[in-house]
Amino acid sequence: MGERTRQALPSVLSVLLSLLVCWMLIAFSRDMDGMATATAAYLQMLWGGVGDWPRFLDGAPATVLTRPLGEAAMKAALLTLTGLSVAVAFKVGLFNIGAQGQMLLGALAAAVVGAHLALPGALHIPAALLAAALAGGAWAGIAGALKLYRGVHEVISTIMLNWVAVRLVDNWLVVGPLRGVAEAGASITGTAEIHPTATLPRLLGDMSRLNLGFVIAALAAVAVWAWLTRTRSGFETRAVGLGDEAARAAGIPVARRAGLAMALAGALAGLAGAVLVLGTEGRYPGTLGAPYGFDGIAIALIGNNHPLGVGAAALFFGVLRAGGTRMQLLDVHKSFPELIQGLALLFVAGRLIWLAALRRRSAPKPATAAPPAPAAQVPHA
Amino acid sequence: MLEILHRLLFATLDAAPALVFAALGAVLSERAGVVAVGVEGMMRVGAFCAAVAALVMPTPAAVGIGMLAGAALAAVHGFLCIRWRSDQVVSGIALNLVALAGGTFLLETHFGPNGTPPIQQLQPLHWPELASVPLLGALSGHAAPTYLALLLPLLLQGMLTRTPLGLRLRAVGDKPHAVATLGLSVPALRWGAVLGGGLLAGLGGAVLSTTVLDRFEQHTPAGLGFMALAAMVFGRWTPLGAFAAAAFFAFGNALRIGLASSAPGLLDVVPQGVLLALPYLLTLLVLTFQGQRNSTPASLGVPYEQESR
Repeated sequence: MGERTRQALPSVLSVLLSLLVCWMLIAFSRDMDGMATATAAYLQMLWGGVGDWPRFLDGAPATVLTRPLGEAAMKAALLTLTGLSVAVAFKVGLFNIGAQGQMLLGALAAAVVGAHLALPGALHIPAALLAAALAGGAWAGIAGALKLYRGVHEVISTIMLNWVAVRLVDNWLVVGPLRGVAEAGASITGTAEIHPTATLPRLLGDMSRLNLGFVIAALAAVAVWAWLTRTRSGFETRAVGLGDEAARAAGIPVARRAGLAMALAGALAGLAGAVLVLGTEGRYPGTLGAPYGFDGIAIALIGNNHPLGVGAAALFFGVLRAGGTRMQLLDVHKSFPELIQGLALLFVAGRLIWLAALRRRSAPKPATAAPPAPAAQVPHA
Repeated sequence: MLEILHRLLFATLDAAPALVFAALGAVLSERAGVVAVGVEGMMRVGAFCAAVAALVMPTPAAVGIGMLAGAALAAVHGFLCIRWRSDQVVSGIALNLVALAGGTFLLETHFGPNGTPPIQQLQPLHWPELASVPLLGALSGHAAPTYLALLLPLLLQGMLTRTPLGLRLRAVGDKPHAVATLGLSVPALRWGAVLGGGLLAGLGGAVLSTTVLDRFEQHTPAGLGFMALAAMVFGRWTPLGAFAAAAFFAFGNALRIGLASSAPGLLDVVPQGVLLALPYLLTLLVLTFQGQRNSTPASLGVPYEQESR
């Protein structure tokens, strides 16, 4: 078994096992025809994510394909960006639980720049994206600075920063100073509508909600991959993550690498917020409902903290989650894909169990003397 | 004035127990060296199972079911983190996500989006002899968990600081290898702490759905588990400290709600959102300026391997 396969296999098996467990959950929670219902629900989820191919082949217009695919792609874009955020921090040995808060700040910054600045089209989108990246990066930078200068563990500080962000943005700024006012003077929920010049253009016109955000997320994944594997600073970042003592001894500026990686993580999460606001919502809504920032943790770990693995995991769960809405036809709640995703993360957390099981299978004679245990890798060791 | 203070105290004593139990559970688990990020999830399953169990059995027994449910989730955490040395933060986050989505799924499948049907709440206990004393009178008229929440921190503090078991639990969070050289089992001690933490977190959740509310709602516990983590850190990982922090947060919340209804003008000066963010901001400040008195358990989050060192 190749090294790459061995790295990817636990994630793949975890996702499959999770799909199976959740299938049984539907099957056993129904009094009659449980198995048929569960299978039908999974099929609805699939058609809701990759497009309704049966209906298309029966002659339905192409929108039965492009609408679901567009939804899946946009969910995947958000999951990719927050997943990359968590993965980049992991690469330098930090656990970024704060992607949610960073995303909130990014979304707010994008909404403010999009609504309150008047810029020509070519500049407005980049300006809003930049503002979001800076806001997210600054929020993550607080956690980074606390870690580097005050020794505060980033898990605790990012959890606290998440809730500070939620409370300050959702319970104060968006309902108070930054609340939008509609035409007739009646107030609306959320911030003011962004200008058309700041709206991310749709790639397929009216056929789906697919917009430039998907391209941004894909480019980000490739760029992070290239940075980590092809540049000196990326290599140094990974070296710090694998062992900061050794990295320091090799002359790598450990603090600078850790700080920059954390800021980059925040910037990526901030971009997710921008894509959400500039692409689909059009403003910062009353509350930024979906916890894409927390999902990013699952996506990063299921993707094994590899930028392209993150992209793959995000595409897969983007499809499932876009299809989740169609499961409601069979009385399965639309959040069901989140359960699949959570269980998959739980199984991925048992990575060492998978590796031990795989080792036992591939070992020729388990009875021989102590097997040479390969250095088992904890996700962010 | 006294009347206002009485009302505030009463509201605090009603709202604080869930937070106190969850914070104590987190302290127990983390003092033994196992990260307790999954408290939110354990509270959620505790709240759900207690609310469902109370539909068919007396409420006090249902609270016990909620505790067991919290411990069951903690057992998964223990299996992954102690038996298999998985990353404790990852496991905790995964449990939170599973509890969040799984709770929604079960609720929607069996009861619909508006929560479980209402149940018989735990009955408040009245102390007539106390009720006439000013301020102390606020102690009367709460359900049993409130009194347990006042007693348990003392017991737990005594256990951790004054008994051999407490010493071992603390040692296993600081220097597990030293405990192992005494011939004691590190995994067994950590299992005990994790399961105990799960029982307490489950109790916290069960209290939410049996005294604060009378059902399980879609979003229960809505981040209270994370506030319990803040209380744990704010209280420097000690039971009494965590209790004080939890009580302080609950009092602040009661004050905020009181102000919102009695003096809305004041909330224009200090917006609600800022007040809501205050517990987390204060926790961050405490962490920032703790200086040399770092009280984090030394081996927190480090999987124990007999062979290492």
